Amino acid sequence: MDPIVTCRGLSKTFGKGELAVHALRDVDLDIMPGDIATLAGPSGSGKTTLLNMIGALDEPTSGEVSVDGLPLSGISRSQLSDLRLSKIGFVFQSYNLIPVLSARENIEFVLQLQGVAASERHDRAMEAIKEVGLSGMEDRRPGKMSGGQQQRVAVARALVSRPTIVLADEPTANLDSKNALELVDLMRSLNREHGTTFLIGTHDVRVMEQSMRHIEMVDGRIDSDARSSA
Amino acid sequence: MIDGLKTMLPLAWRNLWRNPRRTGITLIVVAIGVWSILFFNAFMIAWAKSSKETTLQLLLGSGQIHAEGYMDDPSIETLMDPPDQNLTSALEAPAVGDWTTRVVVPGVVQSEYKTLPATIVGVDPTAEARISSIPGKIAEGRYLNSSDDDSAVLGLHMVERLKTGLGRRVILMSQNTEGGMSEQSFDVVGIYDADKATESLYVFTGRAASQMFLGLEGEIAQIVFVLQEEMALEDTVAALAEAAPALDVRSWKDLNLFLASMDSYMGVFIHVWLGIVFALMAIGIVNTQLMAVFERTQEFGLLRALGMKPRRVLMMVTIENALLIGVGVLLGMVLAAVTIWSVSDGIDFSAFARAMEMVQTGEIIYLDYEPDAFILFPGLIWLLGILVALWPARRASKCRPVEAMRRET
Repeated sequence: MDPIVTCRGLSKTFGKGELAVHALRDVDLDIMPGDIATLAGPSGSGKTTLLNMIGALDEPTSGEVSVDGLPLSGISRSQLSDLRLSKIGFVFQSYNLIPVLSARENIEFVLQLQGVAASERHDRAMEAIKEVGLSGMEDRRPGKMSGGQQQRVAVARALVSRPTIVLADEPTANLDSKNALELVDLMRSLNREHGTTFLIGTHDVRVMEQSMRHIEMVDGRIDSDARSSA
Repeated sequence: MIDGLKTMLPLAWRNLWRNPRRTGITLIVVAIGVWSILFFNAFMIAWAKSSKETTLQLLLGSGQIHAEGYMDDPSIETLMDPPDQNLTSALEAPAVGDWTTRVVVPGVVQSEYKTLPATIVGVDPTAEARISSIPGKIAEGRYLNSSDDDSAVLGLHMVERLKTGLGRRVILMSQNTEGGMSEQSFDVVGIYDADKATESLYVFTGRAASQMFLGLEGEIAQIVFVLQEEMALEDTVAALAEAAPALDVRSWKDLNLFLASMDSYMGVFIHVWLGIVFALMAIGIVNTQLMAVFERTQEFGLLRALGMKPRRVLMMVTIENALLIGVGVLLGMVLAAVTIWSVSDGIDFSAFARAMEMVQTGEIIYLDYEPDAFILFPGLIWLLGILVALWPARRASKCRPVEAMRRET
């Protein structure tokens, strides 16, 4: 089976000269389809930078990232947008929902960008809402939802476009224990039922315990990469 | 594309109301700008029209015919015969509303206290009443009865300066056809109230009476005509010139260059005002929209991260701006329409009578809707506003998606 994500010799340096910060140093990584992998490590270890590189949000200083067999170097901004739209789902720490749209509209928005017809958009969004356990709350705006509910909407938004991989950066950081566990369970069940691949940057032990692969980063390098039986 | 717009429009509209205060300020700025342009335009046009009508109706008419050389030397030596049959036919054309003849010569007017320079005007009172507003401006006494009436009608200001009055006598003096001076005593039967410059200069008497006083045998100084329609001015002047090739036919535009300049530069004034207002509005629009874009940097980063292309971000922000400026423009139009409607009975400037007299405008200015202006100016402001707001929109579209992630850490 070919990996979904391949990183080879990936390095990222911010700044120049004495002020240069080496956020990533020669990282090699493969993410396999169906993986639910956690990316852990202390602050500044390079988790977010690596997620940004894989998510085509930032460019490496050197090295190569491929997503679904497509090398990201040298492709245009517009092609990168298409890649993010069709192959990558994002879940952010602060949910990052569009405040003026309802839960359903937030989910539909990604499909609208993909050019999916209105009726199909509606059906798929409602299905995603049901899947994340928010039926009946589809018309609520983010401001009227709890943090846990908002993060579920964010997960639904990330999944509705049927991406190749979902990148989640500290998805439980703003959630209480109950909501955090529910979110982890949700990602686990989506992974089991649909084979969705997750790469999760986290400090949260509960998330790490539920992952099938645990990648530890230190000083911009992968310190350990171990599979578990979870 | 249409589907995209369907999604973008409600989103853009909701985005506008995320910061009601800022949106409100921008709406007010645009609305006041549009209102001021439309109101100023209507006011300037009404003022120019009033000024023009007041001046034309006073003595000028739509145009005048003189003997060649009269305009350079308006004396008894440059008079002309009454209109011949050819010219009379041209003056009876449907485009000409009315016409009359006058004797106009320089002279002096003398009371028992003072002698003042004057322009002596011999008129046919009946025809004059159809051409000039002076017969309707009699403040005391009466206007002239007939062409043979050898009384005098003086302006208020001249009466004050001469220390004379109704029922008193004044002496008019002017050069006669023999080269000598004619002088004759006239009863002051009426005092008219016009603008100070006219009141100080013109003394009216009957045309036949003035011809007798000057020793003329029917000669006149000018034919004054007014038109049914201003549009026919150039054609009518040309037709009259053709009917009287030996005479000097001039439109009011040639006779009163200041008025003509004001008339033709009115459009320029309006556009200068439009430019000033737009520049102020543009500063307001760009400032508020830049602020909005800066505040939403994270959101634009998110949109880009989700896969929204830069041109769609540009389109989204541009739609927001188009809606915002469009609503402001509509508000301004409604405000202007209501304001103009509320003063449709005229704006009374009688409290500033002296100032209005200086600019030769009626004391009441009647504003009217200018349908072309109501389409052109708001449309122009809307388009220019969108163009100016492209700058902040472009900044939004250039936002790097990594910003959304970076702000998370």
